[in-house]
Amino acid sequence: MSSVTLRNVVKRYGQVEVVHGIDLAVEEGEFVVLLGPSGCGKTTTLRMVAGLEDISGGELEIAGRRVNDVQPKDRQIAMVFQNYALYPHMTVRQNMEFALKPQRLSATEAEGRIGEAARILGLEPLLARKPSQLSGGQRQRVAMARAMVRTPKVFLFDEPLSNLDAKLRTQVRVEIAKLHKRLGTTILYVTHDQIEAMTLADKIVIMKDGRIEQIGSPEEVFSLPRNLFVASFIGSPAMNLMPGVVAASGGGAALTCGSLQIPAPNALSRVLKTAQQVTIGVRPSDIRLVSSDAATTSYDASIEVVEYLGTEALLNLSAGGQALVAQVPASDRPTAGQQNVRIAFDPDRLHIFDTQSGQAIRPGDCGHVESIGGRHGTRDRLHREAQV
Amino acid sequence: MTSSVREKLLVYLLLSVVLIIFMTPIYLILVSSLKPAALMFSKPPAFIFTPTLDNYYDLFTMRPFHLQILNSLIVALGSTAFSLTVGTLAAYAISRIKSRWINDVAFWILSMRMFPPIAVVVPYYIIFQSLGLLDTPLALIIVYSTFNIPLTVWLMKGFFDEVPEALEEAAQVDGHGVFATFLYVTLPLTAPGLAVSAVFCFIFSWNEFLFALMLTGSKAQTVTVAVMSFWSSDAVQWGRIMAGSLVVLVPGVIFVLTCQRWLVKGLTMGSVKG
Repeated sequence: MSSVTLRNVVKRYGQVEVVHGIDLAVEEGEFVVLLGPSGCGKTTTLRMVAGLEDISGGELEIAGRRVNDVQPKDRQIAMVFQNYALYPHMTVRQNMEFALKPQRLSATEAEGRIGEAARILGLEPLLARKPSQLSGGQRQRVAMARAMVRTPKVFLFDEPLSNLDAKLRTQVRVEIAKLHKRLGTTILYVTHDQIEAMTLADKIVIMKDGRIEQIGSPEEVFSLPRNLFVASFIGSPAMNLMPGVVAASGGGAALTCGSLQIPAPNALSRVLKTAQQVTIGVRPSDIRLVSSDAATTSYDASIEVVEYLGTEALLNLSAGGQALVAQVPASDRPTAGQQNVRIAFDPDRLHIFDTQSGQAIRPGDCGHVESIGGRHGTRDRLHREAQV
Repeated sequence: MTSSVREKLLVYLLLSVVLIIFMTPIYLILVSSLKPAALMFSKPPAFIFTPTLDNYYDLFTMRPFHLQILNSLIVALGSTAFSLTVGTLAAYAISRIKSRWINDVAFWILSMRMFPPIAVVVPYYIIFQSLGLLDTPLALIIVYSTFNIPLTVWLMKGFFDEVPEALEEAAQVDGHGVFATFLYVTLPLTAPGLAVSAVFCFIFSWNEFLFALMLTGSKAQTVTVAVMSFWSSDAVQWGRIMAGSLVVLVPGVIFVLTCQRWLVKGLTMGSVKG
């Protein structure tokens, strides 16, 4: 049974439709991140799940129960707000007590829950303080503790880290990951930060202009972007996108991009059509520097700027009239006086999009990955985080 | 002399001037109330004299002044409580309801305040007469509330606008209903506004003279009318008027000092970021 199900959910403000029929199923215990640029409808969607916005059309279910017209207080949810929304006139303990009050627990049980939440989030020394006496990170932890004590069916997070500085953001991010691992409660999390999404999510829902562009695991949306928007939105630095045309199809299919002749991915040789306008995507991390006598197909590129980032370097290159960014190990970066390099990329790692529709071209043209999305657990989250 | 000492001296000097300006009438009232009648208008003014409490004694023996204080308290506290209850709920609704016509309602409420009070004295008299409410504290409570409610609505609306709606949303998600959210989250955060409104309502009701004069007789007479009753066509009993005025000051000062605790708390709450 899904924990949260949205079926053709629509949100209208007067005549203006801002969310256009969203379908989404969040499984029990899953960590789902709604990701997208500002104004894409992700927060509106979350607020509809919370009951803070009316649903203009469609069905919303939480734990198998239709909740379209159910008050927020009766939805068995807990929410962490962007600006924390702690009650400023109450102490940390009172904030948690107030959240528990509607459940009418015995004093011992309430105390037990508050004690446990405070212990898990390291709030024990702060229980008697008011929110104004806490730092940003502490306030965020109190907001999480307040949500936690209620033992809800679903946790909702609305950009909880956006008000924190970069260092604290990383810390709290790990806290949230640990919390999910420990409690195993379903989480629906909104962010515009792809690093948060990639590190935390079991399943990422990428949204744009009130529509879902792709649903999939972090690995899927990164390695198999369904369309140009997802390809350009996910990944930092962003994917290099170059306009091209199919020069030859069938066996030995090739693409022309400016003055570059690029072999097409083997798997796509059957589906590409000659003279088809395509957009060729290559991840900066898939570009390698090779020596001029290398056996693989390689291209000359002039160096515009080299950005040194410590363990790696970003090379801003120009190859065959195309601007490209390459991400290489810092030790491989060109020397100061070097003007040109030779680059290569594996044709099978290229992403090819139909320019007209913006959709990815897939072998057999079955490019719908949203059905693949499933539970991946938290097993390699910290590993992923280290990578991103 | 260092500049900080000089600055302090200047501040104290200015404060002294302000204090003198404000306290002189009070001092004159106090001194006059303690003077024997013969010295009231002596020339040059008598600064040194044997003080007497005769005026205060007469105040409470010749008239039921304690009952008139009680009337004033019932009217002022009654109108304050009623205006705060109704005004606060109305202000909350106006602050939260997002609709075009709600602003028209708000201005209509404000327009009550713009009405010249004297224009409605006679209609009120006739209405209360037909209702049998003349010379009752309830009549004054109703009349004063019509002036106090618009003030409360507009003051409190400003304070409610400042309370982030996210706090109320958090309370709702936490499982609380609309009324519990209002009572435990929104209202405590507007305590300074409540204090300011209470002070204004109380002072207006306590000091009001015109309606009290017209709508009360002997039973529900308030202190303002009672003090003026020492001013008759035969004589003006200055000593008693002064004694009455001083007694009338006391409850107001106590009320404002009680509310001041919340006013100061409100100021410090606002000054803490976040």
